[in-house]
Amino acid sequence: MNKTIEPVWTAEDLLASIERRESFFVLDVRNRDEFARFRLEGREPLPAVNVPYFEMLELGGQDEMVDSVVACVEQHLAGQLPRDLPVLSVCAKGDTSEYVRQGLERLGYLSANLKGGMRAWGEYYSTRAVVEGPDLAVYQISRPARGCLSYVVSSNGKALVIDPLRHLHPYLELAQSKGFKIECVIDTHGHADHISGGTALASASGAPYHLHPYDAIHPMDVLPATIPYNAIRDGQLFKVGQVELEALHIPGHTLGLVALRIGDRYLFTGDSICIGSIARPDLGGKAETWAPLHGRSLRKLVGLPGKMIVLPGHFSSLKEQNEAGLFAAPLDDLKENNHGLQLLAQETEEGFIRYLLENLPPFQPEYVDIKRVNAGLLAPSEDEASALELGKNVCGLAQASGTCNGETI
Amino acid sequence: MSQPFDKLFDARGMNCPMPLVNARKEAGKLEPGQVLKVMATDRGSIADFQGWAKIAKNVELLGQEEETVDGAGVYVHYVKRTA
Repeated sequence: MNKTIEPVWTAEDLLASIERRESFFVLDVRNRDEFARFRLEGREPLPAVNVPYFEMLELGGQDEMVDSVVACVEQHLAGQLPRDLPVLSVCAKGDTSEYVRQGLERLGYLSANLKGGMRAWGEYYSTRAVVEGPDLAVYQISRPARGCLSYVVSSNGKALVIDPLRHLHPYLELAQSKGFKIECVIDTHGHADHISGGTALASASGAPYHLHPYDAIHPMDVLPATIPYNAIRDGQLFKVGQVELEALHIPGHTLGLVALRIGDRYLFTGDSICIGSIARPDLGGKAETWAPLHGRSLRKLVGLPGKMIVLPGHFSSLKEQNEAGLFAAPLDDLKENNHGLQLLAQETEEGFIRYLLENLPPFQPEYVDIKRVNAGLLAPSEDEASALELGKNVCGLAQASGTCNGETI
Repeated sequence: MSQPFDKLFDARGMNCPMPLVNARKEAGKLEPGQVLKVMATDRGSIADFQGWAKIAKNVELLGQEEETVDGAGVYVHYVKRTA
């Protein structure tokens, strides 16, 4: 039997393989701390082994990389790597992992290299239609590795973008291919986990940028944002073609968080309610003060019509994808299945606040700087921006399953 | 830092893993006690040289520094052969 596999996987190939629920094994040759911070995840944790390439060099003891890989795998890893599954070789940028793949190939493994490495995976975007008609189209644009979601709402050749992520090409390319003009850009809040593409997309498309004024002050620095923005107010209507979106001020995750609703059909919740989690209230450093607001805002949201489709700002696991590959669910389903919303229904106001405060995941120190970048208080280089955004978001509360912060082994 | 060195290895322009693979070969040619200065443009080399020096035999990382040469960041590693 001569099984072969495609030796080069792009980030797109990788996502497709995960979505087809194929099995494969990961050999990650980055440093151990990089692996701990950001590793490949599928719908379930992927079987993986982490051996930094310089350890392979020393363990293999040869002068050349491929020779060392061969010697190292034969002497030290043979029992750990499967012979019957593809072994995906992974590094930071995809060069070193190609040498590793060649070593694996020489030993007869079904080996593939992740092209562009974890950087390419982290910066890969996927676009899917939630609904697509001339009067109303909604697209969900995700960064699968980071669990970040953004949206384009279009109607009659015009479009509004919600929470655009750092790279603008997915939005500009969609606008070009579908023939609409971006007329409005909204951030539902000042993000902590990722760098917003909001102001950049607004200036690239000549559209105004909107943010709630409470999020135009850095919560830790207590300094005003330097970015140009139009202030969103509670109840404000945004018109795009024939569609109207209404802003609902729902403070808690941030002080200026807004949700956007399209009638009784769609509810863009920002980070407040996600499919498998609810937002944490501590990313501004004021958890005790913000948690009661968060509880009240969530009660306001769950009072909306239950058939509304929730379109969240994040996901914690690819498992949250529905059959259509979307991160979307009716509000009623979430009230039934989302642990945070279950507790919201069961607990008293005080009990729910206690739950929020007792389930905070570790605080990510980079998040303070990311909020600075989003407020225009810090201007990172491309490399620094990429490093700030490394790894998966942890905007949701910790969950019993432990899938939230990407540390499941 | 004015760290004295015996040999210079210029790995500028090389992508990972080549700065480390080739510097490792060069370090192997040194006499015990001698120091190799490595210049690299690959930012990842900072963490990689640290991790490598921790596990490699007969090698010590004396220091690292960041310079700007012709407007581009250069990462310098001083590697001593210890035995």
